[in-house]
Amino acid sequence: MNKLSYVIKNTFINMRRNPLLVVATMLAVLVSSFLVFTTLSGRAVVENNTSRWQNGVHVVIFLDDRVTTTAHKQLQESLESYPEVRMVDYFSKSEATEEFKFLFKDQPELVQEVDFEILPSSLRVNLNDPADYQLIIERMEGNPAVKEIRASGEAIDRLLSLTNTLVISASVFAVLIAFAAFILIINTLRLTAYAKRREIKIMKNLGASSTYIRLPFIFEAIFESFVGTSIAIGLGWAVIQYSKGSVIAESIFDITISDAYLINLTLGLILSSILFGLVASFIGIRKALNE
Amino acid sequence: MIKLENVSLVFQGGSVALSNVSTSISEGEFVYLIGPSGSGKSSFLKLLYKEYFATKGTVEVVDMDVTSLPKWKIPILRRKLGIVTQEPQLLEDRTTFENISFALEILGYDSKEIEAKTSTLIDLVELHESVYKFPYQLSGGEQTRVSIARALASNPLLLLCDEPTGNLDPNLSIQIVTLLEKINRAGTTVLMATHDSSIVNRRKKRVLQLNDGKLVSDAAQGRYI
Repeated sequence: MNKLSYVIKNTFINMRRNPLLVVATMLAVLVSSFLVFTTLSGRAVVENNTSRWQNGVHVVIFLDDRVTTTAHKQLQESLESYPEVRMVDYFSKSEATEEFKFLFKDQPELVQEVDFEILPSSLRVNLNDPADYQLIIERMEGNPAVKEIRASGEAIDRLLSLTNTLVISASVFAVLIAFAAFILIINTLRLTAYAKRREIKIMKNLGASSTYIRLPFIFEAIFESFVGTSIAIGLGWAVIQYSKGSVIAESIFDITISDAYLINLTLGLILSSILFGLVASFIGIRKALNE
Repeated sequence: MIKLENVSLVFQGGSVALSNVSTSISEGEFVYLIGPSGSGKSSFLKLLYKEYFATKGTVEVVDMDVTSLPKWKIPILRRKLGIVTQEPQLLEDRTTFENISFALEILGYDSKEIEAKTSTLIDLVELHESVYKFPYQLSGGEQTRVSIARALASNPLLLLCDEPTGNLDPNLSIQIVTLLEKINRAGTTVLMATHDSSIVNRRKKRVLQLNDGKLVSDAAQGRYI
């Protein structure tokens, strides 16, 4: 018990020696952990949304106005015969008009201005595998009944590609800052160990084990890393809560992440921060112990 | 207590610190280790608490085979020893009392034991008037006394002193040696390295003499010539 109180007391004495470095270290850990938390949470949000979109309509085939009812039915039957296709719905001009009015109900001026005659009828195709949208486009291109083809997969691919680029960029940035935090922790501990070199020498001569000498340094590194990460996680949760009521959530994204995912992410980050502190302290104090 | 057989210590680069040294010291003895600067006295002591590792031969201290002792067991060995260096190595921001109690804290004593044992050690080294003084307020002799008291915190079987009087005037040196003899009479084996001939010649104790890393003499009531 007395040894533990020595370790805890010395952890805080050590930190008091270099308060600015301790704060800098915590900030670096905070920024790095915050980036990791928000990046992974953001990716989960995008994945949730794209998967939701992928469960909807995958390809919309706009029909030429001159196409007859017989022709559109033949086209629909031919589409339904493809193994990649799960379902095809015909959307008439009047249904398109109703949909337009519903989607733009908040903009009555626009609804009044539009000539609904220009809205085409369409076939809305749902695929077994959303990734097969390109096959449908290839088969329908050149068909005289088809005016235009739109695939949600293209937009989703672009969004996922943009998200991946953002995730990679943020991850690289997070790793760089984490590395800076790592160096800062090592440097802080080395400075403390240098200032305490006489004390360490005395402890070694008295027969204190390396682990015992290391403990205040290990506690310090873990403490700095843990505090930085905990604040980052708190900020991350706050950002998610704020985003749920934001314009983005109402217009583009549904900001929903499962609690299980967030809890796992939180635990993972906290465990990583402890490991991070452990490794940094071992490297930071190694030289002082071997002298 | 101590047994060395054909011990050599060669540093990286080839300089020889000790060459084929064989000797033994029994429990309760007071032994001087003498020789000029660079003769290998400090290396001899550092081999005993495994600060240095013997290149050849076997070293046995307090019934432990130091030669084959794994690194993680070195603290176990050192808890049986008291180590006093030429520089007292006191913590500048702590008083005499705190410098001594620090050792007891490290050794895991509880606060009541620390209080009582520190007072006993202060009595032993006769530093009652300097209990709350910081190292810079102490004389050289007093600083050495604090360092001896700290080394005694673990109730060592063997006290290794590396020129504890090296920086002291003759009078203070005599006081320190008298203190070490008192500790020896209480049962602790003492091995003291020194190049102070006046002390050695006056005290008439066993003397081991090193020269160029070789043990050149071992006399029961030796003299430093």
